[in-house]
Amino acid sequence: MKPLPELLIVDDNPADVVLAREALTGSVHGSQISSVEDGDEAMAFLNHRGRYLNTIRPDLVILDLNLPKRDGLAVLVAMKAAPDLCRIPVVIFSTSRLRQDIARSYEVGANCYVSKPGNLNDFFSAIKAIEQFWFGFVNLPPRGE
Amino acid sequence: MSNVGTKLPMPGSVESKLKLRVLLVEDNVVDAELVLRAIRIDGFDIDSVVVQDEPAFTRALRTHRPEVVLADYNLPNWKGMEALDVLRREGLDVPTILVSGALGDVTAVECIKQGATDYVLKDGLARLPDVIRRALREKHERSLRHQVEEDLARKVDELARSNADLEQFAYVASHDLQEPLRMVAAYTQLLAERYRGKLDEKADTFIAYASEGALRMQILIQDLLAFSRVGQDGAASGSVDCNGVIEDVLQVLASAIRESGAVVRHADLPAVWADRTQVAQVFQNLIGNAIKFCGKDPPAVSVRAEKADQNWLFTVSDNGIGIAPEYAENIFVIFQRLHTRAEYPGSGIGLAICKKIIEHLGGKIWVESQAGAGSTFKFTMPSRGPDERVEARP
Repeated sequence: MKPLPELLIVDDNPADVVLAREALTGSVHGSQISSVEDGDEAMAFLNHRGRYLNTIRPDLVILDLNLPKRDGLAVLVAMKAAPDLCRIPVVIFSTSRLRQDIARSYEVGANCYVSKPGNLNDFFSAIKAIEQFWFGFVNLPPRGE
Repeated sequence: MSNVGTKLPMPGSVESKLKLRVLLVEDNVVDAELVLRAIRIDGFDIDSVVVQDEPAFTRALRTHRPEVVLADYNLPNWKGMEALDVLRREGLDVPTILVSGALGDVTAVECIKQGATDYVLKDGLARLPDVIRRALREKHERSLRHQVEEDLARKVDELARSNADLEQFAYVASHDLQEPLRMVAAYTQLLAERYRGKLDEKADTFIAYASEGALRMQILIQDLLAFSRVGQDGAASGSVDCNGVIEDVLQVLASAIRESGAVVRHADLPAVWADRTQVAQVFQNLIGNAIKFCGKDPPAVSVRAEKADQNWLFTVSDNGIGIAPEYAENIFVIFQRLHTRAEYPGSGIGLAICKKIIEHLGGKIWVESQAGAGSTFKFTMPSRGPDERVEARP
């Protein structure tokens, strides 16, 4: 049986994580959602450090930009510089619509940039569309290589 | 008040002796004495230093701090006129009067051109005191004017800074407010969807009000953000084809146009020199308003442009409810609304954004309207970039 897709959400706002989980409840892809609240935790999770010793490496990271400690952009830079993490697709999911944030994210290797919609239904649609695209259509890099 | 100002001599008044530090550039001892005597006779209490060359002159400027320089034109080792160069180099504004033997008119005029206040012939020294008084008065006026100009420049500077601070504040505030507001909006919506009909009827109403309020505030903050971004977010100016902009805007307004049955016509429009997004914002607000504030008939909107000097004058007119002339200025003020939300929704920011954009481009926007008789909005935009303005259009 094909393993269920692993999704890591990096967001310091638990309310947004809950909304994302709500959005994906009952989806056909059965995404396994993990979440962490700051950039340092995200790197620990990805590198199986500390209390994340036994976590599975995610197939997709949804990354907020404005994070405590190491911010989203720094996480992205670190991921893209690490040979074992650079293939994992990263979706930037941020409130910011600033040109420079968008440009900078793509410059350092974001796979796409989605602004968090203010409206609930748009928010749900965005999360569902991200899941459907990455776990439904895309050929992801093979696991464990 | 400057030093000179407090001691400014009243013309003709001689009873109080006026102290005056004089720097005299003169090689002839007798002449020097004659010159100084001519001033003393008129009631000046003189503190003078006499020099003959540039090093001594420069030194005396610093130690003696003269209020007036009297310079002979012809010196064996130096030209009196070069005193003017030294003064300029030292950044000093000290009136300099040439005191000389026969001096041709051409030379005299040349001296004054170079910055001498006046010239006095040695056989006409009786004029000298008056010339000095006038020079001091002029210098006083000059320094007053300079003071006023400096004050003005400082105020302009302060104003620009506080304006920039305010814009930065509005930007940061509206940006940071979005985040918590998004939570309120999302969760009241979620409450409304998940629990509609499961609580009592009042709860449904309360949730609906909370939800509506949050949504309205989101629009308000987004508009405020757009408003504060004008002139901040690195607007990229270039040649913008307004026909293309209008097509885009009509796409954005498609559902409003469909629902209202509006007809939007536009003539062949020119290109302007501006930021495309901002031009679109202006047209979207104006056309959007024309559709929104319609009367009983379906909205009919027309857009056209005509050349006005280096600018294009655009006209957006409609057959809507119009605006009473007394509100013609108010409508461009941020948060100014003329209707209740139930009549016409909106944040009261749209026209303020238009005005800010147009004014940033150096243009003007105004409305010509009567209540009940449609509105005509007019605005100007530059036709060419700042470097090309002078050239004729090909």
